[in-house]
Amino acid sequence: MKPSKALPAVFRIAKYTLMDELRHKGFVVMFAFCALCVFLLRGCYRGDYMVNGQYLDAESVVRALSTAAFHVIAAGVMVIAALLSMRVFSRDRNDGTLSCVLSKPITRWQYVSGKIIGLWGLSVLFMFLLHGIVFLIAFMDRDVFMPGYLAASLICSVNLLFVVIAVLLLSLLMSDVVAFLSVLGVGVAGFVAEGIAAVSHSGIAQMMMGQPGVHPQPSLTGWKLVYFLWPKLLGVQQSAISLFGSGSFHGFGQVYPLINIILYCIVLGALLFVRFGKIDIV
Amino acid sequence: MIELKSVTKRYDSLTAVDNVSFSLKGGEYFALLGPNGAGKTTLVKMLLDFTRPTAGNLSINGISSTEAQCRTSVGYLDENHHIPPALSGWQYLMRCAELLDMGRGEAAEQCRRIVELIGMQGKEHARAGTYSKGMTQRFGLGAALMGDPKLLILDEPTGGLDPIGIRETRLLLESLKDRGMTVFLNSHLLSEVEKICDTAAIINHGRLLVKDAISAIVKDNDTLEDVFVEFVKG
Repeated sequence: MKPSKALPAVFRIAKYTLMDELRHKGFVVMFAFCALCVFLLRGCYRGDYMVNGQYLDAESVVRALSTAAFHVIAAGVMVIAALLSMRVFSRDRNDGTLSCVLSKPITRWQYVSGKIIGLWGLSVLFMFLLHGIVFLIAFMDRDVFMPGYLAASLICSVNLLFVVIAVLLLSLLMSDVVAFLSVLGVGVAGFVAEGIAAVSHSGIAQMMMGQPGVHPQPSLTGWKLVYFLWPKLLGVQQSAISLFGSGSFHGFGQVYPLINIILYCIVLGALLFVRFGKIDIV
Repeated sequence: MIELKSVTKRYDSLTAVDNVSFSLKGGEYFALLGPNGAGKTTLVKMLLDFTRPTAGNLSINGISSTEAQCRTSVGYLDENHHIPPALSGWQYLMRCAELLDMGRGEAAEQCRRIVELIGMQGKEHARAGTYSKGMTQRFGLGAALMGDPKLLILDEPTGGLDPIGIRETRLLLESLKDRGMTVFLNSHLLSEVEKICDTAAIINHGRLLVKDAISAIVKDNDTLEDVFVEFVKG
């Protein structure tokens, strides 16, 4: 069987989704701009950094900057994935793609799967290339080899899947912009909560807690449950950086964010398929 | 070929299609007639599973319309046809061919044949954003004809076409009769319907008023337009 014949409809739709996005000049310009910004990081690697009167060695500088760049790229590409996903269904409805595809012997789940794979694939590629630039700069410019950096990038692709599915689902229930802002809000709230949790576990905070007159709030149990169940986007990033950073593996605590996001993907994905199966194609 | 059994579609308190039943045989050229808002497009959308009936069943070739498999040999042209503006007519036709599981070589061959059939040679590589409504409609008709479907569902295929375009579409549809294709046509152009179709149904307020051969519906010295007005105005 020829590969073209064997290629299922899902992958064809994914390919068209990917190509339609790449056709937009705005997308190419955005990628070029992001790549340039990441490339400028090269200049930071060459500086002399002093901590407590001692110069930092090149590897420490590279690892610290690469970790920061890793988080910024992973978070930035999540925003880009949300922007790409929010208008997909409405655009397909308006430009006739939806009725063209679904009037063929193609099921709705194949169409939705194709859209998810296309958008996810594009976002993962986008993030992987940017992380790849950081990896190459560190290796070629400063001789620091971090094989775990690219593996960590792939782990963070789970976050992108979550964003794509969540925005697609919400864009069926509300306007595109509100869907985008809602998912952005979930992400920002998660990042802030993780930040607060990190600060509360810090030495200074522990010391403050231990001081007389400072007591933990009794109503924190409910918030802790919300915090525990909230999409752990930053948690996945933090787990991923343990592959190349100095941090060590902490067992379930490190795997939990990944499980959390995968469970969200399954639940939201199921809701997306059910919801799309019920809408009228107009 | 097509069978509708007690099909009803309600949108809250509005009944768009009310207990409609009829069937079409293979090779039949059928026109569904009715004033605006009669439920014609809703019926077509239910046939393609774009919307589900509140009650009743629809089937194509004995397969329920809710199964994607029933659309294996169906071509469809919608009322307000659009082509993604970034694509050329050629790329659009190629996509339609590939979605029907054709390999690239076979798809390109089909596209060449269809571009010739719809008279769009030399314009197929221009971006769809530069096409007029008539040109878009022609490419839409070409996409519907992709893969030599056994059933062609056309929802206002001449919308936006000039008189020459309307005539060419009619001639094209007439030329397809030899292929044994079944045509389900939604149209307001009663004079064209009278020339092309063998059978017709008239619906109003979602109810089927008549379904018969056009020669049986239109009596001596009458036109289809006279009969249509008579049925719709009661």
